Amino acid sequence: MRTAWIVYRKEITEILRDRRTLMAIGLAALATPIVLGVISQVATKTATQEYTIGYSGDIPAGLGDLLRATSLKLVPVSDPAAAAARQVDIGVAFAPGVIDEFYDPSRQSAQIADTRLRTVLGQYSAAQAAAALQQRGIDPGILTPVRIVGHPLSSPIQAASNAFLSFFLPYILITMILTGGFSAALDSSAGERERRTLESLLLTPAPRSRILLGKIGAITTISLVAAVAAIGSMFVALSLISLPQDSGIGHITLSPVAVPVMVWVAILIAISFSAVTLALGTLAKTFRQGQAYVTPLYFITIFPASIILFIPDFNPSLAYYLIPILNAVLVLRDAIVHNAVEWPTLAVTSISLVATGALAWYAALRLFTREALLTRS
Amino acid sequence: MTGAAVVVERLEKTLGKNQVLRGISFSAQPGEIFGLLGPNGAGKTTTLRIICTLLSPDSGRVEVVGFDTRAAQQEVRKRVGVVTADIGVYPRLSARENIAYFARLSGVPDADLKRRVDAVIERLDVGSFADQRAESLSSGQKQKLAIARAIVHDPQVLMFDEPTSNLDVLASREVREFMVESKGHGKCVIFSTHVMHDAERLCDRLAILHQGQVVASGSTAEVRGSRRDLEDAFLELVGVK
Repeated sequence: MRTAWIVYRKEITEILRDRRTLMAIGLAALATPIVLGVISQVATKTATQEYTIGYSGDIPAGLGDLLRATSLKLVPVSDPAAAAARQVDIGVAFAPGVIDEFYDPSRQSAQIADTRLRTVLGQYSAAQAAAALQQRGIDPGILTPVRIVGHPLSSPIQAASNAFLSFFLPYILITMILTGGFSAALDSSAGERERRTLESLLLTPAPRSRILLGKIGAITTISLVAAVAAIGSMFVALSLISLPQDSGIGHITLSPVAVPVMVWVAILIAISFSAVTLALGTLAKTFRQGQAYVTPLYFITIFPASIILFIPDFNPSLAYYLIPILNAVLVLRDAIVHNAVEWPTLAVTSISLVATGALAWYAALRLFTREALLTRS
Repeated sequence: MTGAAVVVERLEKTLGKNQVLRGISFSAQPGEIFGLLGPNGAGKTTTLRIICTLLSPDSGRVEVVGFDTRAAQQEVRKRVGVVTADIGVYPRLSARENIAYFARLSGVPDADLKRRVDAVIERLDVGSFADQRAESLSSGQKQKLAIARAIVHDPQVLMFDEPTSNLDVLASREVREFMVESKGHGKCVIFSTHVMHDAERLCDRLAILHQGQVVASGSTAEVRGSRRDLEDAFLELVGVK
């Protein structure tokens, strides 16, 4: 293993002197807080934004105050339907016992105003009905013959926090591992051919399998550094930015179970994809050609993983955990949301990622020992 | 030949659809500069790559200091140093780091590493730029670095494949002087070139390759024969004159 260590140290030295890789890690650390900051701003603005209702007719007594308290501004208009098309977010025509609502469902502001209006009207109607019953000496409780009493088994705030993390954390982790080692992997493989150092390297008595191990180790390290930088900055950002109160997300913490799972999965992803990127880079004669080979890999792996993140209750069979990257997302999501490790899925995921890495390492080794590697160039 | 540092016997090699070598044989001794001459595409580089184990022969055999290149690749690599016209160095490492990296990979023990690296730096006059990053070096400095890298493990056989083709007059002269100096240290130097003037001045013996075959071999004087110079002999042998 001395050879692998020699190659590892040299690769790390070169990577740390490479502006491209350092910039990738720096961007990884900066991008996450920026994205979260933008999300926070948008979410806060959406929660507190005032929407306008253009109305005609007489507003039922007391309803106006309720609407204004919910940041719904009332503006009298002559034609609510026409106003809803452009001037205001929704239009409402008040008539005794009936409220006509006009809104354009293709406008997001109309959807939000509609939801707020219906919520307020529901509360107003219930209060009016209860008051009418009480006037007649009837218990308003008859309006709700069955009451629901919630007994959450876990903290709703923690659940909201977990849902937030289960969406962002796997995506950030995987993206940063793949992109963090991207430049280093290509520099270490295609770069050797482009700089014409490959022949000298292969001329040494060092076993090629050990040379590759050293390279994979260095790329893995840099990938993990990028991931740690991104996730660390994410948690720092989450402690500094404020999310809207009604999002239910208070203090965001990662459950104790999720941390070791995340570390384990991150190491496996980094190793396996360092090997895959290195193998693809070995096929290329130049850094640029290597980029053309590796970029599709990024989309192929990240796309299914991204889709899954938008299906919150996706309950996959064990076979899904054989698919590299997708399996890592699923395992991480399970650990974060359920605060528990499902050992069969973790085992299948681990085997899948280790097998991917081993196959890629073998492929890279075969490529490294092919005469065409030298004669083609 | 007994005691030969490099023995090449009936070497054949096809790359793609092109038969590059068609039964090449020669041997090179310790303490001599052996020239491999030939036009572009004659098979010089392929022959050198087979000798240093980067390529395998389709048939025939090569021995380097008694080790078969197919059966004992690692042993051969420990005993060979190669300098080519493609001066590939790691740009973000200093000259010293480049040399040390190859010394370590060639099996130089840590205890001996500094002494060996310092010795080649001094021998090749690399000291003035030893701690500069390789990306900032001139072509001549890079070629010196490439030589230092190739000899840091003290190989018995040194192979130079068109080593001066990208160099200016001064740097070329330094490379030639180094080859002569290595010969004086008892190394077997194999010098591949198509510059007849260099070959005539430097080589003790040589082989002329043409279309994958040795068309003449022997001492420089023997190959030149009664012709005016080696260039005339070469042109006649490859069928131009």
